[in-house]
Amino acid sequence: MGKQGTDRLDPDGRQQPRIADGRSPLWRAHNAWRGVTLAYALVWFAVQHDEYARPAAGSAVIAAVVAWSVFTIWRYRSPAGRTHRLVLADQVVSNLLFLSSWFVLTPEQLAAPQVPSVVTIWHASAVTVAAVRWGMLGGGLSAAVAAGSNFLLHDVVNPAMWLDTVLLLGAGLLLGLASDTARRATERLARALRAEAATAERERLARSIHDNVLQVLSRVRHRGYELGGEAADIAKLAGEQEIALRALVNSGPAENAETGEVDLAARLRILRSSWVEVSVPGTAVELPADVANGLDAVVREMLGNVERHAGPDAGAWVLLEDVGGQVVLSVRDDGPGIPEGRLAEAETEGRMGVTRSIRGRVEGLGGSITLDTGPGEGTEWEVRVPRAGEQHSGRARARRLGGGAG
Amino acid sequence: MTEPDVSVMVVDDHPMWRDGVARDLQERGFEVRATTGDAVSALRIAKTVRPDVVLMDLDLGDTSGVRASREITQEIPGTRVLVLSASGEHSDVLEAVKAGASGYLVKSASAEELVDAIQRTAAGDAVFTPGLAGLVLGEYRRMSVNPGAEANAPQLTDRETDVLRFVAKGMTARQIANKLVISHRTVENHVQSTLRKLQLHNRVELARYAIEHGLDQQEESTED
Repeated sequence: MGKQGTDRLDPDGRQQPRIADGRSPLWRAHNAWRGVTLAYALVWFAVQHDEYARPAAGSAVIAAVVAWSVFTIWRYRSPAGRTHRLVLADQVVSNLLFLSSWFVLTPEQLAAPQVPSVVTIWHASAVTVAAVRWGMLGGGLSAAVAAGSNFLLHDVVNPAMWLDTVLLLGAGLLLGLASDTARRATERLARALRAEAATAERERLARSIHDNVLQVLSRVRHRGYELGGEAADIAKLAGEQEIALRALVNSGPAENAETGEVDLAARLRILRSSWVEVSVPGTAVELPADVANGLDAVVREMLGNVERHAGPDAGAWVLLEDVGGQVVLSVRDDGPGIPEGRLAEAETEGRMGVTRSIRGRVEGLGGSITLDTGPGEGTEWEVRVPRAGEQHSGRARARRLGGGAG
Repeated sequence: MTEPDVSVMVVDDHPMWRDGVARDLQERGFEVRATTGDAVSALRIAKTVRPDVVLMDLDLGDTSGVRASREITQEIPGTRVLVLSASGEHSDVLEAVKAGASGYLVKSASAEELVDAIQRTAAGDAVFTPGLAGLVLGEYRRMSVNPGAEANAPQLTDRETDVLRFVAKGMTARQIANKLVISHRTVENHVQSTLRKLQLHNRVELARYAIEHGLDQQEESTED
């Protein structure tokens, strides 16, 4: 993020669409507020200045207030003028001008709660600018400093002083909160625009790869197999690259930016390879991220298992079904299958391995799992997981964690 | 496979692929009646040459492949469309199948698979990959979840659901027949029926949409 809260270049150094800083309205509001407080201070000065101990000094102070206000309002109009240094200087100048009332007012005036300082409420505009520039923390600190100056100047403690303190703190913190929120919104917008640009670029690349490279690879593989011999080896290599490239260009961003849910169908599509077929619905299967990640991991583990145990010629099929309240995930292979009792045997021997970890994951998601296998029949896992089962899965996880600790 | 007596037309915008496939098919005894690179002229050419099977590439860069599949299957009786796509089973494949295509094959399929698929298409069978079965299953489920949006949506029978699930899990028609203790022919019929219901529903929906939006006349006037 740039200092001004807007990005001009993304990490690759490309030009980005310029995003308006969400805090700009707050800056304008601050400028307006400073103008209003200045007018208020001028009115009080006109009413009071005859009664000041040193009217000439009072005139000098109010002249400085006008000059500083005009200067800062002019600087704060453009993003380039909203620097840390100027806002810091603003804090010092505002508080010094406020404290200079000590030389202007009579001791009686200073002690009287109903008589304002020369700068009056204008003093508070230092708090608003700090809040806009630095957020909640800056606003709060500036309010504390302003309240401290207030106690220092009047040297009395009465309910009116405490009221001032609370109002200053409230304004600083609330406006700071608004500024923080606006800054985060700007950043989020910048991220979203970047993601959008990246997606468009990716789609353009994918289309181009698809229209050219993939067609050639596909043709090489096709023809190579027919020619046989060494050409068949080349065909095999082309085929592998074709599948890898296809998986790559088909993998879009799977996350829904609004709900944070993840499209499991898109996740699983990437797993297609020369020996894995993936069947998913045409529409997105959006699940809470932890459920989708968990199921993704389960499928990968199952496929890894097929690769290790089912022999080099085995194929595998993944089927994802969205049955309203739950999702059903089937993973089948046509390998030699698992002989009866083999899994139980492995478990009693203490080699829990795959089944244990797969079962654990599925139970953690509040789902159920069945295994259908036999010698020569391949293996078929079926996993059923409730789709909106947050409470359910949360409870199951709590149970598991509790049980696991003991 | 005996020597086929099937006529084919190839629609694909990649000359290298198009000519390669045409040559392959000719070598295997198919009669390649025409090849074309764009879906817009496909209907016109198909009307003239009347092939048994149109091999339709879906990756034409727009939805023209889907539209051409619909027009050809509706306007030329006896001509069937087999969809080919390189980019995996995506929604455009489902759209083409709903629009009337009899089946789908990935472009990475072997020459034998392609020959087999064309013959089965010519014979009137539905050609399903596991991926297409997953898409069709998903489509029926989608329609049953929001029945309000899809009035009179067709439903799968339990048996059809079972068969589609087996296909989606990579089982061959023969394996499914053994598993369910039914004939191979019955399995094929179940698969075809799932497709036909979907296509019929799609056609009814399109007609209703056209009438509601007054598109039926407009379409006729733009027809040349």
